[in-house]
Parts: sequence; C-alpha cells; structure tokens
Amino acid sequence: MPIIGGRGIAAALIAAAPLLAQTVPVKEHTLSNGMRLLLVERHDKPTVATAWIVRAGSANERPGMTGVAHLFEHMMFKGSKTIGTTNIQRDLAINAEQDKIQAEIRKEESILRQKELNGEIADMRDAKARSPRHQQLVEQMEKLVKEQQELLVKDEFSKIYTQAGGTGLNAFTYQDATCYHQTVPANRLELWAWMESDRLYQPVFREFYKERDVVGEERRMRTDSTPTGKFEETFEAMVWMAHPYHWPVIGWPSDVSSLTREQANEFFATYYAPNNLTAVLVGDFKSSEAIALCERYFGRIPANPKGVPEIITLEPKQLAEKRMMAEAETTPSAQIVYKAVSAGHKDAPALDVLSSVLNGRSGRLQKSLVEGQKVATRVRASMQGMKYGGTFVFHGTASADQKPEAVEQAIYREIEKIQKEGITEQELQKAKNQAQADSFRRLEDNMGLTIQLAIADATTGYQAFLDEPQKTEAVTREDVQRVAKDYLVKETRSVAIYTRKGGAAPTDPELAALPAEAQGMVKAQLGRLEQVKDPAQLKAIVGQLEGQAGQVPAEAKPVIDYMIKKVRERIAKLEAK
Amino acid sequence: MLSRIALSALMGATVLSAQTIPDRPEKIAVKPITFQVPKVKDARIKLKNGITAYLVPDPAGQPLVNLTLLIKGGSYLDPAGKEGASLLMGQLLRTGGTTKTPAEKLDEKVDFLAANLSSGMGETSANLNLNILGSKLNEGLGLLMEVLTEPTFQQDRLDLAKKNVRQQIERRNDDTTSIERYQQGLLVRGEKHYTNRFTTAASLEAITRDDLKALHARLLTPANLAVAVSGNFDRKAMEKLLNETLGSLKAGKDAKASPKVPAPEHTLQPGIYVCEKDVNQGRVTLSFPGLRQIDADWPAVTVMNHILGGGGFTSRMMKKIRSDEGLAYSVGSYFSPGPFYQGTFTDLFQTKVPTVAYGIRLALAEMERIKKEPVTEEELKVTKGAIIDGFPDTFGTKAVVAQVFLNMENTGLPETYYETLRDRINAVTIADVQRVAQKYLTPEKAAILVVGGKAADLEAGDKDHPGKLSEVAKLPVVKLPLRDPLTMKVVK
Repeated sequence: MPIIGGRGIAAALIAAAPLLAQTVPVKEHTLSNGMRLLLVERHDKPTVATAWIVRAGSANERPGMTGVAHLFEHMMFKGSKTIGTTNIQRDLAINAEQDKIQAEIRKEESILRQKELNGEIADMRDAKARSPRHQQLVEQMEKLVKEQQELLVKDEFSKIYTQAGGTGLNAFTYQDATCYHQTVPANRLELWAWMESDRLYQPVFREFYKERDVVGEERRMRTDSTPTGKFEETFEAMVWMAHPYHWPVIGWPSDVSSLTREQANEFFATYYAPNNLTAVLVGDFKSSEAIALCERYFGRIPANPKGVPEIITLEPKQLAEKRMMAEAETTPSAQIVYKAVSAGHKDAPALDVLSSVLNGRSGRLQKSLVEGQKVATRVRASMQGMKYGGTFVFHGTASADQKPEAVEQAIYREIEKIQKEGITEQELQKAKNQAQADSFRRLEDNMGLTIQLAIADATTGYQAFLDEPQKTEAVTREDVQRVAKDYLVKETRSVAIYTRKGGAAPTDPELAALPAEAQGMVKAQLGRLEQVKDPAQLKAIVGQLEGQAGQVPAEAKPVIDYMIKKVRERIAKLEAK
Repeated sequence: MLSRIALSALMGATVLSAQTIPDRPEKIAVKPITFQVPKVKDARIKLKNGITAYLVPDPAGQPLVNLTLLIKGGSYLDPAGKEGASLLMGQLLRTGGTTKTPAEKLDEKVDFLAANLSSGMGETSANLNLNILGSKLNEGLGLLMEVLTEPTFQQDRLDLAKKNVRQQIERRNDDTTSIERYQQGLLVRGEKHYTNRFTTAASLEAITRDDLKALHARLLTPANLAVAVSGNFDRKAMEKLLNETLGSLKAGKDAKASPKVPAPEHTLQPGIYVCEKDVNQGRVTLSFPGLRQIDADWPAVTVMNHILGGGGFTSRMMKKIRSDEGLAYSVGSYFSPGPFYQGTFTDLFQTKVPTVAYGIRLALAEMERIKKEPVTEEELKVTKGAIIDGFPDTFGTKAVVAQVFLNMENTGLPETYYETLRDRINAVTIADVQRVAQKYLTPEKAAILVVGGKAADLEAGDKDHPGKLSEVAKLPVVKLPLRDPLTMKVVK
C-alpha cells in the first residue's frame, strides 16, 4: 500500500506526532495559459475530490447588478454548446430572441419603476401592474421558454456526472470568489477535465430568466423568511461603508430581478479566464498524468491577457461606533463587529489566538459571562479574515432576565481585561495545542482539504494555509495583548441589539395550560384587576374566588386557582412598594 | 491493490495516445475500478464484557483517534412529566463534572489536551465522542471513562443547561422550519408517540439531578453499549486498551437493557393543512406512510425515489418545479428508513406564497406520472450509475466507515447490507420501479402541510400561476393553529 506523506508506524500504538504540525505534500503547477493546479495524491480509496475556484465573487460586482456572481454560478450548470441541447443553432437563436424581448420588458419595467418611485403603484413586480403590452411581452417570453424547453436535454450537465458516480456536485459563491466542486470516481478524472473545461470554454447560459426566479426563491428561503436574515443583511451593509462587502452575496432584490444575460456574458468574459482560476485535486491519481490531462483539456482555453480589474476601494477608517436596534422574532442578543484585518495580514494569527482564548468551554467568555455573571447563555467570538478586510465578531445571547445591552457591556469588560492585563501562559499554550490538533483535523476529509486549499489560494495563496500552524506557534502573549488594544476599539465597532418582536416572552405556560375557552376570560379579568390599586380590595377578591373554588366543577378549578395565584402576586407587588 | 496498479498503467497509456479531445464525454475510455466495501466482520471485535467494538485503523492517516460510544436508550424512556430528562442527561454527562474531576477542571483539562469530548442524547440513542491526538489518547480515554461511569450532574451545570433548553423551546415558533418540523411530526405520528412528547416549560422545571442520576444508572450496562474507533492506531494495541477501559465496565445494580423503541399507533389523517405565519414563502411538505430500510422493496423504492425527487438535479421534481418553472430553490423527496418502525415518504419544497398551490399540483402530477408510465431506460441507467459508481464516496473517511458500522449495530441492519446493496440496486427493473411507485406512492392518503403565508393568499394563487389551494387534491383544508412554544398546547 503506498503511503503518501506517510506517518504510519504499525508497531507503535500511536504514531508519534511531529513536534510542530501537519505537512501537506502539495504539488503546484501552472498551465501554459496561466491556470494554476494544486495536487495532493492520496491512494487509500478510488475517488478524487475536485474543485476549481475563480477569483470573482460579489465584491467584483457594482451597484445595479449585485447578485450577478451568484446567479452566474447557477448558470454554469446549464450546459455548453455541446451539453444541454438537441439543437444548438435554434437554442442560441431562441436565447437571442429572448434577450430582445427582455430588452423590451425592461423598458416597461423602467416605467413601472418610476411609478413605484412616484407612489402610484406599490410594487413594480406585481403582475397586476403590467400594461397590456407588458403582459403580451411576458406571454411571448413564456412561449419562447417553452419552445426552448422542448430542445433541452434537461440538466444534462448534472446527469452526466450523476450517472458516472460523481457525488456532491455543487458550487458556492462568497464575497471574494466562486468555487465549483464534486467528488468523482478515480477512473473519471478525464470526464471531470472534459466537463469542466467544456463549461469554461464554450458555455451557454440558457434558461437564464427562470434561474433568476430560482434565486428569488433562494433569497426568500435564506433571507426573507428566516427570523433574522433581513436584519443580518442590513447590519452587514452598515458595517461596510464603502467596500463592496457592503452588499449581500445574493444581491439586492431589485438588482437580481433586473439582471440580464448580457451582464452575465460580460462577467464571464471578464473574470472566468484561466489566468484567474485555480483547480485543486485531492485523491487517487498520479500527478504527472493529471498535469498532462489538465494541459490538454484546460490548456485550450485562451488566457485573458488584460488580466482582471482590481478592486481599488479600501474601506475608510471608521470614525464612530454604529448601532442597529432590531426587533425580531428571536431571543434577545447582542452582536459586536470590530473592523479587524484581512486574512493575509501579519496580525491575523494573533487575532486567531485571541478568539481561541475567548472561546470554548474553558474560554473566558463562557467562564465569565455564562457561568460567572450569568448574564448570557451563549457567547462566541471569531476572527473573520477575508481578502480585502476582516472583522472580529462577538455574538452573545442574553439570559432570560437580562437585557442584551448588559451582555454587550460584559463583553467590553472582558476585552478591557485583556487589553490591560494580557492573557496567561496557560491560555496561550492551550490555544496553541488546539491549533495544532486542528491542523490535523482539517486534513482528514479529502473534499474538506480540497476546498480549503482552493479558498486559501484565492485569498492569500495556498502557502499561507500550509504556514498557518507555524505562524500560530510564533504568537506571543504580548502579540495577543497588542492586537486586542489595536483592533478592539470603540470607534471601529458596529453593534446590533436584537430584542424580541412584540416585547415579552411567549405566553405564560400556566395560562396556556388552562382550557382554551377560559384563557381569554382570564386575561380580560386580570386586565381589569390591573386597575385596582388597593391591596385590601384585592384581598377581598381573593376571598370571593376561594369561595367559588369549592363550588365550581372540577375542570374549572385550575382556572380559579390560577386567578387566585395571579391576584396574590399582584398584592405582593403592591405591598412591596 | 493489483487492479489499481493496472488501472494507472492504462490511464497513462490513454493520455499518451489520445491527444485530441473527444467531441462527447461518453467517448472517453473508462476502465472499471474495483471497490471493496469495508466489511463489518473485519472491523468487529467483542470486548471481554460483551461490548461490540468496531476498529477501523488508518495507518496512513492523520495522527488522531476518533472514538464514538453509542448508548442505546433515549427520550423514549423519559418519565411522564419529565420530558427533556434524557436530553439533559446526555449533555450533562460531559458538562456536569465527575466524582474525580469537577466540571470546571474537566473543561480546562479537555481543552488543554486539545480534545473534542462531547456527549448528547437523542430520541433513541446517546453518543459520547472523543477526538484527540493519538499521543494523548490514554489521558483522553481516562476522562471519557470518568464521564461515562461517574458523572455527578453538578447542580450549577444543570441549572445552566435548563436555561439554555428553555431558550431553545421559546424559539419554536420563530422560524417556519421549526414549525414545519413539529407540525409534520404531529400529523404523521400523532400526539401520543414519544417523538411528540415535547419538552415543556413545566417538564423542564420538574427535572432534578436525581432524575438524571436515575436515567444514567438505568442505562449503564454493557448490554446498552457499542463503540467505534477510527484513526491512526495499531489494532492489537487498541483492542488491549479498550479491554482495559470499556471492557472492564460491569452492569450497575439498577441497569437494564433498554427496551424496544415503540412504534406510533397513530393513523395519519389525510388533508391539506395550513399553518399561517407572516412570511413571504410557504414551506410545503407532503407526507404519507412509507416502508423500512430492511424491507425487500427498499432498493426498488430507492431507485424510484431517485428518479422522482431524490436524485437532486436529475430528479423529475427538481426539473419541473425548480428548473422549468423557477418556483423553488430546494425541491426533493425521500423515504425515511424507519429504522425502528415504518418510515414516512416526504416530498418537500419552498415557494413564494401565491405559487404554493401551483407547486403542489406539479408535485402531485409527477407522482401520478411515475405510477402511470414506465420510467425510461435512460433514467434507470443514470440512477444505477449514481448509486453504484458513486458508492465508494458513501465511505468518505475512516471515521465515516466506523460510524456506518455503529449505525448498523443500532438499527439492526444485516451485516452484509452494504456489501450486497450494489447488486440489489443493479437488479431493479423498469417494471419494479412502476410496481413500487404504485404500491408506495399514495398521495390520496397524504397530509399536505403548508407553513407560511396567510390562508387567503395561499388560496388565491397568482396571475402567472393560477389555481386554488383547496382544489389541488380531493382533501379537506384544515387550518392548523400554532402550538404555544412553552406548553405545546394549541394556541387559540
């Protein structure tokens, strides 16, 4: 059995752990057109985890066309000139006709947009607001969609992989990049090269306008219909003032529903060039053969000699704390976001150690806020380094009898403690021990490693991923104290305070346990009693109720008992004053 | 290994000889590969007290050991009025301290060892999991044994855990996903089944340390335990180590083998159920009784469902509802495997409120079609390829292999189940697919549940997707009230 990067020592119970941490035997190669390859051979099972990443995400968009990177990701599964249709000529002709009709529809929409702005209609997307011509165009469009569907080999791209035993075919888009991945049987690596190079070489973005609707549903599912989705989106937009991280990856609703195929074409031509891509393979293959295969298949795609447009905007220094007060259907909580550093910044490892010291069951936040002060039920900190900036985030859920602002203040006190006194040697060593063990854990799953290498290469270069354990090992207590002082400062933070919509916690369980028909009556009676301010009068009412309790049928007794209890609570309150 | 060497040589030859790119992917030469399904009997040993252990060593892997201990038992054993006790017992094993090590010290020790030591108890089993650098295994396993055999369920930790559970149950109506989960469970398995005996504010309040101790004492016998270990270790040495630790465990005086998991006695009432919530998307599930994974029809049902709604982008439901109509992001169907009683079929998707009725009609039409018309040769071929050629990835890591073995132990799957699965899938015919579609797809008996939107808007449909919700099936429309999150009683 071949052992790659082997640590197998059969005689000992446990192979001795190397002093520092993991080593990953990554083979790096650049194709003639500038596309990068990262290869890790592992021969213990006949599969290959594959991914390729393009350095284009939502940060490469601009206002008016936000969401195009993500919609584009969906379009990459729609096939090519070869895959996905029985009649490519007619298919392309229909696409062109659809685009013409869409251009006409956009003229109608632009009238509706103005009407919405003028307050004449509530929603420009409401089908009832369409003019007769607009409606006619929509129907023509629908006819062309149906005609194209007749020619489609429906989802052929997915079908070919599925039949070949490919698993986990998917992709994801984030601010900095977009990544396409799946695992294939080891004898299907050439199929992977064929399919991936084909969709990069001659893609056809058919079914574009239906896919826009799919993204609309994705948005309703992920953002609109979840308790905090829309608030998180709002908050993120508040944190980032100028940088494109300001807008959501899925795009603003107005933009997504107006995206055009022309915009997708332009995005593809600009960013999806081989010199802007890295492919990663981890699994059962021979590197020399994989390189030859990739040269043959991906090598046919011409480079973009202009290169890709740089992201110029740097987030200006934040001058003042920002706050968002949100009422949502959720447990009261506080979120604090400090502007910190990008993933490749020299201070990122120290900030990582800082988050490690704060987190975990034995971390400062749990010990102090949850177990000690009991102000919160759950608190987490994390360092989120991206390509063009980063944040250091705290999230704390308030205990039932506490306000989220109290959690917020308690977090500040923990920060100040570290700023003043630093961390202990034991805490530093614990964080390093955890980083070392995690540096092995993250290598166990082939697809996990593939995606981490892809993301690292798109963000900082993959070498940074390999060097991470050494950099963590070099962090000192002074470093941690310094970064806490430098970055966790009032002026650069944004705070979101969540309180439960409708105010109070859900219904009193004892009330809800009463017969349903009695609940309304009980509430009304207790409401009236709120007006009574004299304890003596209330005591008389208790007396009456107690008298009744002996006479009513058994099923009504809990109702009376509940009333008595509540009146007594009120008496106690009045007397306490 | 021989076949792989041969394969590599052939692949090399292909690369050298074929410099052109075939015009279709089907033209790429493919050499078969052999994949030996990991065998249960190669991994299984008995410890000296009868506990079954599955050892899956990975000598070329990372220097880590991953151990999962399974304890049979779960919330189905919760005493009446103490619903939530098993859940808390499971959490407190790890977080509540031991007679040797108070909770605070244990937290510090585990974190300093950089171990992941966790515990939890669900409806039918508890897990105690340890992931640790191999060099620290002895220490880690020592802590795991303490946690398993002498937990103290510290009062302060119990109070904390109760506070957290209380917050979780308060959130039951915040999210349509959570509402859907409990409403569907109630519709399918009825109020009385253990899966619907909810933790309430009152039951949570009633749980004491003594309850947790009693539950623990009841479960702690070798008869309820099984263990799986994967990672970088020597098999013989691990066998010795396990015998010295878990293998030395004796049944306590109050311990009992956990009884059979009870099946629901409820009969699902067909209907269109609407649970209102102020959001712009409706979550739709369509449920009716299914079968069990151990049933002979399971492979044919797997193939049929893959074509209908289980096969991701290649399934008919996805093509129709998402890709053709743009009505949903996630669409799918599945048969739950049981495993302790008859499972359930569920079709699910989420779409904006006015297109819910239209979407349901499309889903029902796909069920009708697969019952009426034979599926195509090609659909069958794609599905078999997906399951058979995709099989090696089912066993993604050694930890997964060990987990699969442990699950088989808990659910009673025969030990050759995975070894023979590919042959059984391969034997499925077009006629089989139609036969099981007709037998198991019974939408006339479905509980169609919609969570989200207002009933009137769901009924109205929209201009581009007409049709009323009440007319999607010949079933009564029933408005389903929310439950009070703290009592799980109906809110009027």
